[in-house]
Amino acid sequence: MSKVASLAEAAALVHDGDVVALQNMATQAAPMALVRELIRQERRNLGLVCLVGGIPVDWLAAAGVIDRLIGAAVSMEQFGLCQQYRKAVESGRVRVEELSETALNARLGAGARNLPFLPTRGLIGTDLIEINENLKLFQDPFGGETLVACRALVPDVALVHAHRADEHGNVQYEPTILWPDLGIMPKAAKRVIVTAEEIVDTEVLRRHPDRTVLPGFAVDAVVEVPYGAHPTSFYPLYGYDAQLHVEWAKVARDDEQAQEFLRRYVLEPATQADYLDAVGGAARLMEVSRI
Amino acid sequence: MCATIAAQFADGDEVCNGMASFIPVAAIMLARQTHAPGLVWLAGAAGVDPRPSRVPASTLEAPLWRDSVMYLEQYGDFWNYALSGRHLGTFCVGAAQLDMYGNANNSVIGDDYHRPKVRLPGTAGLGDMGSIGKRLIYWNPNHSPRSLVEKVDFVSCAGYLGGGDERERLGLTGGPEIVVTNLAVLDFHPESKRMRLCSVHPGTTVAEVQEATGFELLLPDGDVAETAPPTGEQVRLLRDVIDPDGMCKREAGVTR
Repeated sequence: MSKVASLAEAAALVHDGDVVALQNMATQAAPMALVRELIRQERRNLGLVCLVGGIPVDWLAAAGVIDRLIGAAVSMEQFGLCQQYRKAVESGRVRVEELSETALNARLGAGARNLPFLPTRGLIGTDLIEINENLKLFQDPFGGETLVACRALVPDVALVHAHRADEHGNVQYEPTILWPDLGIMPKAAKRVIVTAEEIVDTEVLRRHPDRTVLPGFAVDAVVEVPYGAHPTSFYPLYGYDAQLHVEWAKVARDDEQAQEFLRRYVLEPATQADYLDAVGGAARLMEVSRI
Repeated sequence: MCATIAAQFADGDEVCNGMASFIPVAAIMLARQTHAPGLVWLAGAAGVDPRPSRVPASTLEAPLWRDSVMYLEQYGDFWNYALSGRHLGTFCVGAAQLDMYGNANNSVIGDDYHRPKVRLPGTAGLGDMGSIGKRLIYWNPNHSPRSLVEKVDFVSCAGYLGGGDERERLGLTGGPEIVVTNLAVLDFHPESKRMRLCSVHPGTTVAEVQEATGFELLLPDGDVAETAPPTGEQVRLLRDVIDPDGMCKREAGVTR
């Protein structure tokens, strides 16, 4: 059975209140077309799991889609803090469960392997343990050392962007820096939704089975979305869109201007092609592809 | 600052860099081009032994990891090595607040964690690096009473906690070793673990450094030394070769 879906159908697999694991690393590799579709469908009360969240976290916070975040950091790096997210946290609209990188990895790893918890030796001595009911100090039963138990985290759904997939949901990546959370997030989540730059015949995947990173049996839906990670980078195809990041960073401190930005780039464009036109069309795409 | 941090790296050290870390990246590149050609660099904790032509606009994006000999899967594999206890002994920490006992905060400003005055980016890898036996090098291009505080609002990276042997009693090894700012170089008293002035940069006085610090600094026995200025060759390398776009100078304006 084909797992190919439209963006609207795929986003409908994400339900209000779900815990959503989002592939992202500051300015890298986020499934942005799906993020925009969740905003368009007015999804509410989502919990977001990300390692280092960037512009998608800020847009989801600005649109009132998320009310909690589990992650290690949120920042657009050279483009500054995520101001709408920051405001949402400071006003209490979004609650943060802040984990170190190894603690988040342990929580997801336990989720993936159906364990109650996995340990880490990170975080000991910090204030992050006591405020978090999902972290507990315990004694190593073998040697007595104090470690941190990180309770299993099973996201309802993981959202991933990839270079190519087939209709069965087999997913391939080009050789590049491996997206940091691909190794664990889709394996911990109950459902996996993948957007891909292209959907190809399975024969194409068979030429390079070493590049297949997710098997079709573990993927629920695939959507073909060229430039689906824009304005984040997706190497080796395209870099991050610095201009759109700068434009967002300029308006993000002001609620009205932020909403106007979302209306123009997220709500109004009905299709991916409309969106790409809105952000600058062929000229901008040629620019981000020049890497 | 770059030359002082570079001097902390020995040939053969294994060092990684994180997000928005222009000064450490320039220091790593400088060390590799001068006294430590065998320094192993994990660019963005992912690109092994890369050869970028210059410090790029991002320290967590291409082209930082150009010409790497290997792409390490950052989230899984990098931490396998970082946690092993055998590799990556040194880590450079940048944070919004650093206190007199070397604890760092990149989480929240304010008393109420869930309703903070300022939500900072988050602990990311700091919360790990402070607790797993690493030698921590702090860098701070904005030495001020706001960034060097008596007590951090929130500990997101473990330093010497309350000082003395508190860190040791929790079973933690390693810890903060040196703090390099735009004004001075500081270290930690071997017993009390309080921050201590080592040297002031040329043109800066001890009084100016104390004025810019949010707590009373310990002073060394005898006179406070002057930080060795970078050599002419180091300045040339940094300005013309390593960082011609001046990313390190811009770092003061970037929030991690």
